[in-house]
Amino acid sequence: MRLPRFEYYQPGSLAEAVTMLSQVPGARPVAGGTDLLVNMKHRVEQPAALVSLTRVSELAGVRLEDGATVIGGGVTLKHVQHDEGLKARFPALTQAASVVGSYRHQTMGTLAGNLLQNTRCRFFNQSVEWRSVRALCYKAGGDYCHVMKKEGVCFCTYHGDTAAALLVLDAEVRVEGPDGVRQFPLAQLYSGEGKAPLSLGSAEVLTAVIIPDSSATDGDTAGGSTYVKHALRGAIDFPIVGAAVWRNGDATRVAFTGVDRSPLRATVLEEALAGRALTPAVIEEVAPLAPKGVTITRTTVQPGSFKRELMSALFARAAGSLL
Amino acid sequence: MCAHATAQATGTEKGRAMGAKRILTLNVNGDDYEVVCAPNTTLLEALREKAFLTGTKRGCDLGACGACTVLMDGEAILSCITLAVEAEGRSIRTIEGVSDGGELSPLQQAFVDHGALQCGFCSPGFIMSATELLAENPHPERAEIQRRLAGNLCRCTGYVKIVEAVEAVAQGAEGGAR
Repeated sequence: MRLPRFEYYQPGSLAEAVTMLSQVPGARPVAGGTDLLVNMKHRVEQPAALVSLTRVSELAGVRLEDGATVIGGGVTLKHVQHDEGLKARFPALTQAASVVGSYRHQTMGTLAGNLLQNTRCRFFNQSVEWRSVRALCYKAGGDYCHVMKKEGVCFCTYHGDTAAALLVLDAEVRVEGPDGVRQFPLAQLYSGEGKAPLSLGSAEVLTAVIIPDSSATDGDTAGGSTYVKHALRGAIDFPIVGAAVWRNGDATRVAFTGVDRSPLRATVLEEALAGRALTPAVIEEVAPLAPKGVTITRTTVQPGSFKRELMSALFARAAGSLL
Repeated sequence: MCAHATAQATGTEKGRAMGAKRILTLNVNGDDYEVVCAPNTTLLEALREKAFLTGTKRGCDLGACGACTVLMDGEAILSCITLAVEAEGRSIRTIEGVSDGGELSPLQQAFVDHGALQCGFCSPGFIMSATELLAENPHPERAEIQRRLAGNLCRCTGYVKIVEAVEAVAQGAEGGAR
């Protein structure tokens, strides 16, 4: 399957990359390419130009800034999962990085790329031939949504692994564009729309992920974090549902991926847990609340009822492992 | 046009546009290959169709099956979703570069000895993934072998003999990896 034609740029610095992205019509940034190039082969994304970030040195490295841990956007998932400091303090993140696709994807893919991956749907992530028997779906440029069976809507679902982990770690992201640098909570990176899932400008580059020191846990009995996922094939697949749980004393945070147009914190579940110590009885009591407030649609072959049960089960498994 | 303008605007040689075909120098198995590639040529296409190194296989061509695995600067990557232009200046190793002359590597010999292949189509990918693993960790446990080979799909063997072959090398029964 050939890639469509495109112009290609290989800037050597972040400033150069931002200039190219703002000046070249239709340009998109690419790093590992494990999401974008596959979508391009399927012709569901056809950017006129690619700006490669692999030679941009500002995106490399893990460092400390005023106590906060700053991970460069270009750091690979392989590097993230093997970083001893991250493993000790933010196990949910390193566990999530270690279950993205296969080890080859983890070698190629970057943390920023994993966060910025496109949303997915069984009618969208298919070859041209597969899709040709139906009208072009709304996200691919047509009018009709085959999931919702109406026009002008898109419920394509976000399936990234590391986003759920970083949500419970209260991470922020730093982006740089033509108008300068801005930093904001990770949740605001996602628009909540299936068709255009990111709230980034076309010339903005995600340069770093920042995790506050207050989210670090040292693995003692009162705290910790973890990420668990269920996929059809553990070796390669996106999560059908992924769940991250962070706990420190009586404070608990829970996030899910694979269930809605954005990765999200389980607010109803967290409210029910507020101020309560995690115990097996509490976990069993609140687990049925996991799917509350989430819009689950049939963007995967699994029915919504299965996904809702998975959310409760994965929350219970993740929370149980932190007791 | 716009590409030229951007290169001028940024004023760097590295930032030049590469929309048209250009000559790339790819270092594969220690040899330099000059190949003419457009930006949309994948490393797999460059290896198979330009350098005529057809040992690396095209399976799903979507990064899911691992048949196209090669080493880039020692790391196993999927050449079907890697652009050839990204491989310039890097050191590529393919299945053709694993054996020493006519002599199989210990890992290849272990595949033969353990019957770890049937049709053989997935074998180059498995060999490259296992070569990376054994270079990083000469004595991996069975669970680590399984995790690292999990992204390589095989429709014939059922995987057991493949894992046993890698395990034999890891335990020194085949004289270590190369």
